[in-house]
Amino acid sequence: MTTHNRRAAMTRQRRVLVTTAVAASLFAAAACSSATPDTDDSDAPDDSDGTSYGFETVEQDPSAPITVWVDASRQPAADAFIAANPDFPINVETYDGGADGSGSFQTKVEAFNQAGSGWPDVVFSTQNNDASWASQGTDPFAAPLDKGYFEQAFLDGFTPGALNPLTVDGTIYGLRNDLAPTVTWYNQSLLDEFGYDVPTTWEEYEALGEKVAVEHPGYIIGTVGDSFTPEIFFWAAKAPVNVVEGVDQLSCDTSDPKAVAMAELLDNLIAKGVLASQSVFSPEFVQSYGDKVLMLPGPVWYAGALFSNPDSLNAAPGTIAAGLPLAWDGETPAAGNVGGGTWFISRHSANLENAKTFLEWVTSDPAYQVDVAQGLPAYKEVGDLWLAKQAETGFFTDSFADNVSTAAGQVWDGWGFPKFSQEAVWAKTIIPELAAGKSLVDLLPAWETAIKNEAQVNGYQVS
Amino acid sequence: MSVALFFVAFFVVPIIWVLIASGKSTRDLITTGPFEPGTFADLAANWSALVSFQDGVIFRWLGNSGYYSLTALVITLATSIPAGYAFALGTFRGRKVLLTMTLVVMLIPNTALVLPIFLEMSAVGLIGHALAVILPFSFFPFGVYLTYIYFSTSVPRDLLDAARIDGCGEISVFLRIAMPLARPVIALVGFFSFVANWNNFFLPFLTVPGPKSPIQVGLTQLLSSVPAFNPTAAGVTVIQLPTLALATLLAATPVLLVFLFSQRFLVSGMTAGGTKE
Amino acid sequence: MSITDTTTAADPAVRGRRRAGGHRPSVTDRSARMSYLFVSGYVLLALAFGVVPTLYALRMSFFNGQGQFVWFANFIHVSQDFRFMPAVTHVGLFIAAWLIGLLFLVTLLALIIHSIGRRWLSSSVRFIYYIPGALAGASSVVLWLFVLDPTVSPVSAVLRALGSESLIQTVAPGNLPVVFAVIAFWTGAGGWIVVMYGALNSISIEVLEAARLDGANAIQTALHIQLPMLRKWISYMAIMSLAAGTQLFVEPKVLSQATHGVVPVDYSLNQLAYLYAFKQQDLNGSAAIAVMMLVVSLGLSVYVVIRGGLFERG
Repeated sequence: MTTHNRRAAMTRQRRVLVTTAVAASLFAAAACSSATPDTDDSDAPDDSDGTSYGFETVEQDPSAPITVWVDASRQPAADAFIAANPDFPINVETYDGGADGSGSFQTKVEAFNQAGSGWPDVVFSTQNNDASWASQGTDPFAAPLDKGYFEQAFLDGFTPGALNPLTVDGTIYGLRNDLAPTVTWYNQSLLDEFGYDVPTTWEEYEALGEKVAVEHPGYIIGTVGDSFTPEIFFWAAKAPVNVVEGVDQLSCDTSDPKAVAMAELLDNLIAKGVLASQSVFSPEFVQSYGDKVLMLPGPVWYAGALFSNPDSLNAAPGTIAAGLPLAWDGETPAAGNVGGGTWFISRHSANLENAKTFLEWVTSDPAYQVDVAQGLPAYKEVGDLWLAKQAETGFFTDSFADNVSTAAGQVWDGWGFPKFSQEAVWAKTIIPELAAGKSLVDLLPAWETAIKNEAQVNGYQVS
Repeated sequence: MSVALFFVAFFVVPIIWVLIASGKSTRDLITTGPFEPGTFADLAANWSALVSFQDGVIFRWLGNSGYYSLTALVITLATSIPAGYAFALGTFRGRKVLLTMTLVVMLIPNTALVLPIFLEMSAVGLIGHALAVILPFSFFPFGVYLTYIYFSTSVPRDLLDAARIDGCGEISVFLRIAMPLARPVIALVGFFSFVANWNNFFLPFLTVPGPKSPIQVGLTQLLSSVPAFNPTAAGVTVIQLPTLALATLLAATPVLLVFLFSQRFLVSGMTAGGTKE
Repeated sequence: MSITDTTTAADPAVRGRRRAGGHRPSVTDRSARMSYLFVSGYVLLALAFGVVPTLYALRMSFFNGQGQFVWFANFIHVSQDFRFMPAVTHVGLFIAAWLIGLLFLVTLLALIIHSIGRRWLSSSVRFIYYIPGALAGASSVVLWLFVLDPTVSPVSAVLRALGSESLIQTVAPGNLPVVFAVIAFWTGAGGWIVVMYGALNSISIEVLEAARLDGANAIQTALHIQLPMLRKWISYMAIMSLAAGTQLFVEPKVLSQATHGVVPVDYSLNQLAYLYAFKQQDLNGSAAIAVMMLVVSLGLSVYVVIRGGLFERG
């Protein structure tokens, strides 16, 4: 009995020792292998052809194929490039483009950073705030473009303000693919029928809403049910709720008069029933308001997504117009912005010249941007051509091309592009409360707190 | 019995919805009742939209999933069944340590493990190679535990001891006595392994992107082409919601087929449960 | 004769005596060596894809980005995150709603199905119960987008009866634990029912016959014969469900996508760990969250292991 016990105890002891030893050795192994990879993965800058890129590059190989990541909707861009440049060494890979806040771009880059290899050369992202993180960190992904890499003349060819989302601390880290300024969409024929004038100020907009509520109940002049609602209304209202002051500084003040004024305006119109509380993509919206949309402030891409879409509003040709962005009485008008894709080049690319060729082509060549692309190109020259082409179809009224072009240049630059998603904060904090009947003015402090909390966990100092 | 029926309705109603939805046009999906049937024309249109997406990439995704899941399944069975058997009926030092270690590894959140596995695969240069998912998939502690519990509750040691006394070597005992009794658990483990691998998203997302993606990763691309989820989805690559419903069905079908196939073994092992004394 | 009797009798005393016997002809030794062979394949995989990653994660949680040992700094930092306590509450409520439902209902449904006489009926019902389990992750986004929206849902009557008139109302924060519990049950129950059904099959028919002859009805048989013999299986199900519950990830992610962020991306602890790793580039914080989740699941599991006799033989 005693022998058994002692033996059992010794066996247990030995077992524990062996386990600890194994664990410790594995721990040590893990410790050694997981040492943070040396962030400086670059060799001496390659100046063999005399040009300096303005950042440290890896050894360049002019014949190396470039790997390009696009989403399914931008695959035609890659296809068009290959058709125009058949012998160009290029590998195209599709991914989800970061759509709907999936963060796959950032996730992959983080994984590659940890592994020390695997980065693609060129990436397209549907999110417009990726430069905020892609330009930062111990091993930043995005290559700066304006330090000698791209010609300034080319960069100047973009619509003024188009490259704002890609400019961090004064340096441009990527190129904009398309613009998405907000315009004041309205139904020309309904407006004429009801005898209303197109509003040019927010005050007139509100007055119009009050009139519509009384004279034509059931018709709407906007929606507040989407997560990009703040980008339509508060951005255009020049409310300082998303001011990115530096790489790690953010300020947010929802008690600013402009923010409060817009919140009051929205509350008023929601209460009057002229602002729909459903998302424009929801079945309810189409069911309830399909032909009752009098006015709809929103981004340019509503054109294809809602108005000419047979599965959505399915407007009759010639009835819909794009009105200019609204202004507060006595101030200059400002547009908001909802989206607009971005292109990046990796610092780790071994063929920066080819990457540049690809990027220049895909953002400014009419073969893709005018003939194939569905969104308003950010490069001014092709943007104008695209607008002219849209105007030719005659689906929208005559002022479409001019107004959109004007709006594209009126996007307020006081709204920043932080590392976190303002849309997600709005969706999480405001939408459920609005649906429960709370007033937006009452929710302003909670919104500010939510923005600041989110900013802080993402590394911002808030004020 | 009425309880069972209630739950039949509970489980099946949303499935019926998906079946019906896949045959509707987008407009109908939004405006008609959930149980109103669609039309064959709409179903055909949805199908053609799905298979023409990126030139039929959905079949490539499905093929990848099948390849990864089946290969990993084979390795899983080859490693988990003997391991579970040894845990249940073997006698060796370290048995409890290994069982505990298995438990701990099962309990740690997967998110914490994926990155280290990715780094391991990257270190041996396997990223982008099928093995980068097949090997990690083959590690299936859940299956080991299932096998362990099954063997320890359904197979008496006496049976094995009798065989040993008769002169059978250990491997014989395992193959000739234990394995035939284990058909139900082999079917179970194989099935669960297949499903877990088929539905796994994060590891393949990191290790085999692009054309080698399995269906779950591919579906996120499909999702990003649906305007309702991504307003910037545009042009010919637009996927509508009913097509997505059809994709859902397509992604689920192989799992259901494997289920039906393995059910036969589950039932047939019923009386072979080795309990006759 | 019950199986448990024979196997427990074979245990400690006999085994101990055999080992103490020194150089007895080694049926046991041979068995032990072969056991090592049997587990070798699994152990290799386990080391590569289980142990090393776990140790890596453990290490990460105690070090910082510069490779310095920082004791519990990561844990403290993470628990002070404004999303941490809400996430803990969410997960706690979810587990409470789900685990109880799962354990109870799965066992009940498995017993009911097992008692169905006709094999085809029993198989069909099991198949139907399982089908939802085949819809995972991204493939179910569109499903929930519609099913939870009273204007288009096949179960709109139920949703309206519970007071919801729109998708946003269905996913109001107060409802989410229950919504997720229902979704998780819908997808997960079928698999466990199959396992339990298989477990029930392994109970000797003779035992059930004997009970019937003794006059036990269905419920008594279930309570006094079948359930005790299912002890290990139920414990295993409890542990796995506990782990799966604490690791709540897929359901909130799917709903977050379907509702465009109204259901937040940081709803659960696992999601928070993911955000820390891949959005905030704080791998150490992420590992700290994972370790905390592990400790909790492990603690609760140890309790279940002991009470359920999971490591015992027979």
